[in-house]
Amino acid sequence: MLFFWVIFFLGKVFDPYNQGQLSVVLMFFIGILSITFLTGLSGQISLGQGALMAVGGYACALGVLNFGFNYWQSIIFSVLASLVAGLILGITAARLTGPYLAGTTLVIALAIPSLANRFESVFGGDVGLSVDFGNPPQWLVNATGEIGFEQWQLFATLPFASVALFVALNLIKSRTGRSWRAVRDHEIAASLTGINVQRMKIFTFVVASGFAGLAGAMYGLRGIVGPSVYPISLSLSLLTGAVLGGLRSVEGAFIGSVIVVFLPDLIEKVTGNWQLAPQIGNFLPAMVSSLLLILTVVLNPAGVAGAIHHRRSRHK
Amino acid sequence: MDQLLSAIFAGTSRGAIYALVALGIVLVWRGAGVINFAQMGQAMFSTYVASNLIMHGTSYWVAFVVALIVGTVLGAAVDLLVMRPLSGKRSSAMMASPAMRGTIPVIASLGILGLLQSAAGMIWAAEERGFPTPVNSLGLSINGNVMPFTAFDIFVIGVVLFTLFVTTIFFQKTGMGLAMRASALNPEVARLSGIRTSSVRTLSWAISGAASSLAGLLVTPSANLSPNTLDLVLIIGFTATVIGGLDSLPGGVIGGFILGLVISFINVYDSPSDVFLAILAFLLLVLLVRPQGLLGSKEVRRV
Amino acid sequence: MLKIENLVTEYGAVKALDGVSFTAVQGKITTVIGANGAGKSTLLRTISGLERAKSGTISWADNSLIGKAPESIVRTGIAHVPEGHAVISQLTVAENIEMGALFRRRKHRTDVKQAIEEVYELFPRLAERNKQLAGSLSGGERQMLAISRALVSRPQLLLLDEPSLGLAPLVVEQIIQTVNDLCRKSGLTVLLVEQNANTALAVADYGVLLSLGKVVANLPAAELKADASLRAAYLGY
Repeated sequence: MLFFWVIFFLGKVFDPYNQGQLSVVLMFFIGILSITFLTGLSGQISLGQGALMAVGGYACALGVLNFGFNYWQSIIFSVLASLVAGLILGITAARLTGPYLAGTTLVIALAIPSLANRFESVFGGDVGLSVDFGNPPQWLVNATGEIGFEQWQLFATLPFASVALFVALNLIKSRTGRSWRAVRDHEIAASLTGINVQRMKIFTFVVASGFAGLAGAMYGLRGIVGPSVYPISLSLSLLTGAVLGGLRSVEGAFIGSVIVVFLPDLIEKVTGNWQLAPQIGNFLPAMVSSLLLILTVVLNPAGVAGAIHHRRSRHK
Repeated sequence: MDQLLSAIFAGTSRGAIYALVALGIVLVWRGAGVINFAQMGQAMFSTYVASNLIMHGTSYWVAFVVALIVGTVLGAAVDLLVMRPLSGKRSSAMMASPAMRGTIPVIASLGILGLLQSAAGMIWAAEERGFPTPVNSLGLSINGNVMPFTAFDIFVIGVVLFTLFVTTIFFQKTGMGLAMRASALNPEVARLSGIRTSSVRTLSWAISGAASSLAGLLVTPSANLSPNTLDLVLIIGFTATVIGGLDSLPGGVIGGFILGLVISFINVYDSPSDVFLAILAFLLLVLLVRPQGLLGSKEVRRV
Repeated sequence: MLKIENLVTEYGAVKALDGVSFTAVQGKITTVIGANGAGKSTLLRTISGLERAKSGTISWADNSLIGKAPESIVRTGIAHVPEGHAVISQLTVAENIEMGALFRRRKHRTDVKQAIEEVYELFPRLAERNKQLAGSLSGGERQMLAISRALVSRPQLLLLDEPSLGLAPLVVEQIIQTVNDLCRKSGLTVLLVEQNANTALAVADYGVLLSLGKVVANLPAAELKADASLRAAYLGY
């Protein structure tokens, strides 16, 4: 709950650009949570979460355009669609481990955008489909005053993010969460205690896909749903955010999303006056985040959240 | 008929390159237990170096050798600078579970890939460049008939077959090759036999680096050079190893050739945009029937 | 001469070796016996560098082995034949043997060839099967192969871990006798870990009895064999 009001407050206080950024943070947060579940808590690697976001995005767009849902309904529709996609993905992939899994998810990640191109009439090909959040409802405007476009984006995303956070925290604490950790740490032992490993893995995929789809739907509602909106680097960004922030916790997911979204801005601010050649400037954010990723993995694999936990437990 | 032949040759020539990439991936996988996603980034980087040299007047062959050296060095560097420190972290909580132990180096390699790509972008900007070939890349004419393949195709296939031949001899007949095989199969017994497994591991990385540079040099002429061009090659090469069985060198090679042919046929008889769907379908088919790949060995699980 | 003082090796919170001290006399067979879990294998693994000692000293020919990597320790003349998976199944017999001598090839090319020939003479069965994959050998042959791999490195100290494990008594007899002969003829120092105390004490010169990581007795083998109370308490018969 606290989360909700803090962001709401920030939303009123920030300028429009940062409001937009903050809403993207929330979207990435949800997307990164899918990695937290899959990789951090359950030990399976997927390089295709970006593609799952695309599934969500497309489902949402289709919902709005073809089925005439309003955006609330579309988002729910897209979550359902991604749950199904996750089920299919899970059944296919749960038998695989390690690199076989990574490879398969990677190819799937590339195949899904191809699908979009294949059925151009439905999916709008390269250009994609345009959707957006629409206008804020009147009662809200009456309550809080005029709401700008980015601000509305933020406010619209916020409830979903809060719900996602709530669900995530509860899942982790529940028996499901414990089962995940058991599967991650020692599969054979886990199966000996009666956990159906296969089903657990599939379930993880389904849940993770649901989150990814939700993130993707909202990501798409910023304006366009198309292959260029969900490139392969999106999956990489999600993974980077998860690792940098902390693979194993919800806080880590949030910190990670903040880092990933605001890093380019931060770099710009720092180097803005340095008169860098465009070719350097263009690649600087990518280089910095790659370096951070490598350093984090080598020096502090638990990410920022892990470091904080570590320090807290040392001071007890 | 001509179309068929042309598809077969193009497929074999591309397949040869994928086989080379697969070779590099399997080498590092067996030698170090890591999937090196940065591999084609290394290739891209060394090809850029070569391209730069050629643009300043160096001969193709000199640049070729330099690129191979750069690739080898990059490979060794990745092991020494990143992978070794990583394995030193065995004791931290993150690395405790076997699932994570495999995942974390993979994430590191993704980071290295990003690093190499952005570095290349910074040094050479992202404009696409062409890359020359040492032999004619247009249709080959023998006795006045135009053949459905080019001299370059022959060159590629020849170079790759030669490399595979040399590699096989190295692994089967030399002491160092034996040391590498032993270290990959059973590091403990290898160490007890006096084999310096960590040096051997670095050598695997270095050789893999050389192989991927070679693949980069061979594939670039037909696809322009930019920081991202080789991504696709990596992905297909990786899929080739998964299909062939990750721990099998011959499997990876065969997988590479198969995929090359499959892609070529899809390109010719269907549409290029279906390529990924076809690869995915093929991949799923193989993994469904044989989850360890065509020639891979079943994992022995110790409880 | 191998001298061990106050050796402590831990697995997490458990002290597998808790202050072990003894000396392995040059050119003699010292056997380490004790019940399961007494720490016998851990002892050998710590000496050969596969496990890291928490504290204590291991000195071999006046050099300390503590903190050294296994591949370096081999080069000081110590060969370890671990229990269980001591050969590489996917390599041939010849390759397994060759593997043991790789590190000497550059400097001692001729001697390496000699060593390999000698090992084939010692175990003719291996010569017959030398192109076969190690995984296709019988248990006894695999043990012979493991010992051969160690012997071609021309060790001065041989660490043998439970050679009798899973083998028929006749085969065990044969192998132990071969090791015994080798020791007497060439002055090889042998540290033999055995579950089967009888077999071990029959050929050994000295016996070290381990229990729960501590040395309970360190005596000439004949005395150890004769001491019924020790046997009953720690070996169960």
